[in-house]
Amino acid sequence: MLHLFARTQKQKKLVHNLSCRGVSHIDFGSLKMSGGPGLESLVDQTISVITNDGRNIVGVLKGFDQATNIILDESHERVYSTKEGVQQLVLGLYIIRGDNISVVGELDEDLDAHLDLSKLRAHPLKPVIH
Amino acid sequence: MLPLSLLKSAQGHPMLVELKNGETYNGHLVNCDTWMNIHLREVICTSKDGDRFWRMPECYIRGNTIKYLRVPDEVIDKVQEETKSRSDRKPPGVGRGRGRGREDGPGGRQPKGIGRGLDDGGAKGMGGGRGRGGSGGKAGGSRGAGRGRG
Repeated sequence: MLHLFARTQKQKKLVHNLSCRGVSHIDFGSLKMSGGPGLESLVDQTISVITNDGRNIVGVLKGFDQATNIILDESHERVYSTKEGVQQLVLGLYIIRGDNISVVGELDEDLDAHLDLSKLRAHPLKPVIH
Repeated sequence: MLPLSLLKSAQGHPMLVELKNGETYNGHLVNCDTWMNIHLREVICTSKDGDRFWRMPECYIRGNTIKYLRVPDEVIDKVQEETKSRSDRKPPGVGRGRGRGREDGPGGRQPKGIGRGLDDGGAKGMGGGRGRGGSGGKAGGSRGAGRGRG
């Protein structure tokens, strides 16, 4: 019974609306968190962040908030260039303001371990233009 | 762990702040607030290109101009200790007990009324502060940088 999961009047209305369209399951537990960036599942995992200025920062996600400000531990920046391999700069513990974040992605550590960064050539990313 | 709690725990520690305009500020964190506005002491400001430097005894940076903060690694251990000790200190049910005591007494209404008044005052103060803090912070920041250049 779908409506059992709905607690508030708003949720019940939504359930009615969606069940008319053939939707059979809604997880209100996760809908409730829709105010935040939904990064819970990535905490304590290695993530890769692309910032608005085109940097790529890799580190362990330690925390985040509603504004997508994030804490990155043991972080390093990967600097891409077409002339030489990828340079890794050690950054350490970082708080990145959400305003400056474009993309947060889970890093596949197995795949990453098999990359030979010294042979990898790529254009650096351009900054985001607002 | 919240980014702003980590920042709060970094009080007294040296840190590097990069602004959206590319300038960086190295200094010791004096204080910060929930908007990430920060107050630094013993500051060295570096231009975007890293070729010019200014020293200033203190500066105040409006939170929304910040790109990122680099904090010492050990701060993350400190914040974990602090949150642990806070949860140890506060046994559950303390708040509820206090609430009942107020309601029971014959003078229960009186303190309740006072409490409400205080709350309203606080809320008002915060609202006003937001506006003031905004313009003040911005003006302070740019003024500080200008002085350094001159």
